[in-house]
Amino acid sequence: MIDFEEELKKFHPSLEVEDVEDAIYNQDVTDLADVLVKLVKEAKEEYGDDGLAEG
Amino acid sequence: MFCFNCGCRLSEKNFCTGCGADVGLYKKIMYTANRFYNEALDKAKVRDLSGAVVSLRQCIKLDKNHIDARNLLGLIYFERGEVVAALSEWVMSKNIRSEKNIADDYIDAIQNNPGRLEAYNQTIKKYNMALTYCQQDSLDLAVIQLKKVVSMNSRFVQARQLLALLYINSQDLERAKKELDRALSIDANNTMTLRYLKEVEEMTPTDEERIRKKKEAIVYRSGNDTVIQPVGKKEMVGLQTLINIIIGVAIGVGIAWFLVLPSKIQQAQTEVNEKYKEVSEQLDAKTLETEELTTQINELIQEKDSLSSSLSEAQGNKVLLQAYTDLIEAVLMRMNKTGDEMQIADMLEQIDKKYLQDEATDSFKNLYQALRDDISKVVAKNSYNTGYAAFRAEDYDTAIKNLERAYQYDPSNGEALYNLGNSYNKKGDTSKAAEIYEQVVALFPNTEKARKSQNYIRQIKGE
Repeated sequence: MIDFEEELKKFHPSLEVEDVEDAIYNQDVTDLADVLVKLVKEAKEEYGDDGLAEG
Repeated sequence: MFCFNCGCRLSEKNFCTGCGADVGLYKKIMYTANRFYNEALDKAKVRDLSGAVVSLRQCIKLDKNHIDARNLLGLIYFERGEVVAALSEWVMSKNIRSEKNIADDYIDAIQNNPGRLEAYNQTIKKYNMALTYCQQDSLDLAVIQLKKVVSMNSRFVQARQLLALLYINSQDLERAKKELDRALSIDANNTMTLRYLKEVEEMTPTDEERIRKKKEAIVYRSGNDTVIQPVGKKEMVGLQTLINIIIGVAIGVGIAWFLVLPSKIQQAQTEVNEKYKEVSEQLDAKTLETEELTTQINELIQEKDSLSSSLSEAQGNKVLLQAYTDLIEAVLMRMNKTGDEMQIADMLEQIDKKYLQDEATDSFKNLYQALRDDISKVVAKNSYNTGYAAFRAEDYDTAIKNLERAYQYDPSNGEALYNLGNSYNKKGDTSKAAEIYEQVVALFPNTEKARKSQNYIRQIKGE
């Protein structure tokens, strides 16, 4: 049986046109590729090119 | 595919031929992102938009620069009526690659038609308003708003789902099902839509139940209309009519009570208030008028008092003046011998007795008394003679006048007093006569006059 009140909570206000700018700026644009690049960069800084190659 | 380190195009090797960076893992990420994109494309082709959105979001989490994924995600959002989300994805896509990007066309298509964009925005605003109404428990208003929303943007899946939920809540299952079917025609595999649809189907009566209900009704045609009359109602016709009449009367009384009566009461109250206001205004005017009149009366009373005071003063002055005039004339008469004692006595008797007694100065009194003493013997004698002669001549008024004067000027003259009593007695004024006789008895005791007076007193009193 559907609980009306509970179901209602699942609906959220839709973004209006005036909010599009904020929506774009606030979007989390970090992807897994960024994470990977960051990890590689940190490893390089810690161990140098040789260390990374050995690892 | 390009190297994340130096930007060189990657070969089939797991390292970059340009900078030598290990790109094995990176390539796997990119491949996985592509796989999610392909999966989303397959889902979108069979209108599983929700599934496609999930896959595309996964794809973008792996590769944020996946232009096709972003464009497709925007397209799906747009298809579901979420215009702002769609624009957001396309703008980001365009930001990543500004040229040769189909997102350009999508954005232009919307931006070149401001009226349509405004219409989409209005739809979203109304949807948000409907959601607010739902939270405020104004469900009827929410339904009205959502109906407008779906008529303006028939592909707004969320609006249709919310509308269906409201219909389910109000047990309007047919309409709920209709909305859900339309939502499903846009987004075929939406979990929420499917769940609601299942709920609606469970709540909808089965065929057997419908047949049983149908059997309970008699169906016949009247002209072009099909009339369904529930079984067992015929026997109740009389009772039903009575109940209907009672209900009708009750409703009539209710209307009179709740609509007509308050209106009448309100009207009566208004009239009473107006009357009250009018009377109050009149009362105020009258009160003001009364106050003005009272003020005028007080002023007039003060004026009258002032004038009375002036009059009294003037009268007092007149009496004083007359008294002085009379006394001076009497003195002049005596000095110049222009009048005899009797005329002087007349003049002195004109002086106001009250003034002489209460207000006159001592010098005035002394002069008056000196003049009176000077003429008293002659006046007393002459008055007695005249008075007695008049008594003898039975002219009692003259006798009374002269005998009174004679006794005033000579109080030792008992004859004058006695004959005065006789004059009153003869005149018929017995009470005055008795009074005079008593004076004679008191002032001249043991005389013949006293004895005679006593006899007269007895006669008068009837002893």
